[in-house]
Order: sequence, then structure tokens, then C-alpha cells
Amino acid sequence: MAVETDSAPIPSAETDADVSSAGAAAAHGSATEAEHSAGLPQFQFQHWGGQIAYLLILFVALYILMSRVFAPRVRRVLDERASTIADAISSAKALQAQADVQADEARRALADARASAQRTAVEARTRAAAAAQAQKAELEAELSAKQVEAESRIRVARDAAMTQLSVVATEAAEAMLEKLTGAKTPRAAVAAAVKSQG
Amino acid sequence: MAANDPIHQFQIEKLVDFGVVNLPLFGRTELAFTNSHLAMTLAFAGVVIFMSLFTMSMQIVPGRLQAVGETLFGMIDNLASSIIGHEGRKFFPFVFTMFMFILAMNVLGLMLTFTVTSQLAITAVLGLMTIGLVIAIGFLRHGLGFFKLFVPSGVPIVLLPVIVLIEFVSFLLRPVTLALRLFGNMLGGHVALKVFAGFVVALGAMAANGGLGYFGIPGAALSLSMVVALTALECLVAFLQAFVFAVLTCIYLNDVVNLGHGH
Repeated sequence: MAVETDSAPIPSAETDADVSSAGAAAAHGSATEAEHSAGLPQFQFQHWGGQIAYLLILFVALYILMSRVFAPRVRRVLDERASTIADAISSAKALQAQADVQADEARRALADARASAQRTAVEARTRAAAAAQAQKAELEAELSAKQVEAESRIRVARDAAMTQLSVVATEAAEAMLEKLTGAKTPRAAVAAAVKSQG
Repeated sequence: MAANDPIHQFQIEKLVDFGVVNLPLFGRTELAFTNSHLAMTLAFAGVVIFMSLFTMSMQIVPGRLQAVGETLFGMIDNLASSIIGHEGRKFFPFVFTMFMFILAMNVLGLMLTFTVTSQLAITAVLGLMTIGLVIAIGFLRHGLGFFKLFVPSGVPIVLLPVIVLIEFVSFLLRPVTLALRLFGNMLGGHVALKVFAGFVVALGAMAANGGLGYFGIPGAALSLSMVVALTALECLVAFLQAFVFAVLTCIYLNDVVNLGHGH
């Protein structure tokens, strides 16, 4: 494309140079002036070749520098950084796993401690309950013994009181008979009468 | 007069003239070190200096300059590997060279008086280089199977001739659009900048004459604010066009690298 279009304006510049006997620079100057007024300077094709050649040289040089020097340098650092980050992440993961294991152990120890505490508490409770039961039974036995003793004492006292009562009643009946009849009644008869009354 | 002409900034000026020579590929050519060559050299040197500085003493934890370089590098790297796939790394140097060179030329164009990427010769060569690489890879990898690029699968037989024609024309237009997009953006942006900057001077000169000319002052102020806004926009465009070129390069390369997989 560049080759075809190049050839068009250059002959005109040459004929200019041929026609005017002045130097090439002056001819060129008039040519640029003419083309300048004609349109965009971008379409002055006599300038294309030099620019294109120079651009290609610079681009190739830059490409070689980029692909051989700069990109590998950056790539190396980026890879290094990626590996550093990956290492840090993996070591953090290892630490995390370790911490998890430790936490598990702690949790298990806590559960063990709680279970043993519960066991101890249950044991203590049963022991205390048994002790209380024994004490209660002992107390009850003592109390019932005391009750039995008290009851027998009461019976004895009642029996004594009953005996005493019949004597008193006999005496009272004897005294009443003596008062009413004025005669002395034999004690044995009075006693038998009282006893028969109940 | 010439200084106020918005087109004059694209004029190639010879700084060192070597006369007319016969180049092997281009025929008779005026060989000279022009302002275009100077700007290209500066862009090339800028890219090389930037890349050297930032890759010279790279750290695992990046510094400021390294972070900038790595951002650009990573952006194009991600682009290449996400569009082309696992083979993206192979083509990364080409895409990155293209991106950095265009970016440097665009950005330098905002600071110098000459913008290389506003030269159709340059953008056309960049576009042809890209499509040339695409065609070369296509034939090297697939031989005549390269032409499957123009035959999408799953198209009814009846429509096939039309589709093939459309695909073929769109492929031919790829380098043209690549070249014209960059060229047009740079040309348009710089012409607009120059026109508004010219308004500032012209209206300011009107105001300097006094009288009714004082009405020129608000116009000049408005033009100046337009220049500021356009400069900001051009900074964006300078980056964006380099990026778009890189994206399209990746997409076109993907077409032939993964021929038959993506279609």
C-alpha cells in the first residue's frame, strides 16, 4: 500500500526540481508549500517511507527489549511474589490446622474434666445420701427404742395408778359406807365390791 | 498565519536532511530526521527509560514507580490471558510493546508540538503489523485452515456465501479501522485543541483593541476553559486509544490462535 502510493507525489517533486534551476531545498520548499495548502500534511506521501522505516526499526527494537529483558524481569518478580504469597498462605493454613488440633485437644480435655467433675459430684451425692439414710435409720431406731421404753414406763405408771385407784376407791367406799350406815364393813368385802364394779 | 492554522501542527519538518535515497522496500524516499522521527525517538526512549527504571530494582513489595509499571503490565497481561487464554503469555510482549509505544506517542503528543500517532503513515503501519501478525500466525498454525475464520459454524448453507463475504470484508477492514480509529482520534483531538486555543488568542487580540472588542473577553475565557477541558479529555483519549488498540490486537490474535474453538 505504501509502495504504490509513494510513487505518485515524488515524480512531481522531481519535475519541480528539474524545472527550477534553484537548489533541491528550494524546490522541495515550494513543493511542501503547494501540498500544504492542498490538504492534510498526513497525505504528503514522500514523508511516509522514512517514518515507516524508522517506526519499524524502533518497534522491533522495543519488541526485542520487551520480550528479552523487561517482561522476563517483571514476570520473575510477579512469580516470586505469587510463590511468596502461596508459601505464606500454605504456612498460615498449616498453623491454622495446628491451632485447630490444639483447640480440639483443649475441647476434649475440657469435656473430660467436666465428665469427671460430674462423676465426682454424683459420687459425693450418693455418699451423702447414704450417710443421711444411715443417720436417719439410726435416729429412728433410737427414737423407736425410746418410744417403746416410754410406753412401757407409761404402762407401769398406769398399772400403778390403777392399783392405787382401787385402793383409794375402796377406802372412799368404806368411808362412805361408814358414814351412811355407821357400821364398819370389812375391808375385804368392800374391796371385792369395788373390784366387781370395775 | 501558519502558526494559527490548526493543520500546521501535523506538518513534517525536516530537522536533518539526508537527501533522496532509494530504500529497498519503499522506493525513492526523502530520507531525513524529521520532527516525526524525533517524537518517535523520544517515545521510544521514554518507554525504555520507564521500563528500565521500574524493572531495575524490583521488590516483592512494590514501590511507587514499580506499582505504576506493574499496573500497566498487569492490565495488558490480564487482557492477553483473558482474551487469548493460556497462550496469552506468548503474545503478551507484542501487545505490551504496541500498547506502551502508542501510549508513549499519544502522551508525548500532548506535551510536544508534534503527535506521531496523528500521522496516518504510522497508524496504518501499526494496524498492518497487527493484522500481518494475525495472518502469519493463522497460516503457520492452521495452514489453509486459516480460511475457516471466514466460515462461522452453524450457519445455514443458503446464507453461507453472504456470511463468508461479510466476514471476509470485515477482516479486510480490520487494519483500516485500527489505523483510522487511532489516527482520527488523535487528529480530531489535536485540531479541536488548536482551534479553541486559536480562539483564545484571536478573541484576546480583539479585546486588546478596546471598544466593542471587549466583548471578546468572555468568549476568550470560554475558549480557554474548553481548552482545559479538552486537554483533560485528550489525556483520557491518549490512554484509551492505546488500550483499545491493545484490546483489538488481543481479540484479532485470539481469532487465529483459538481458531475453531471460540466460533
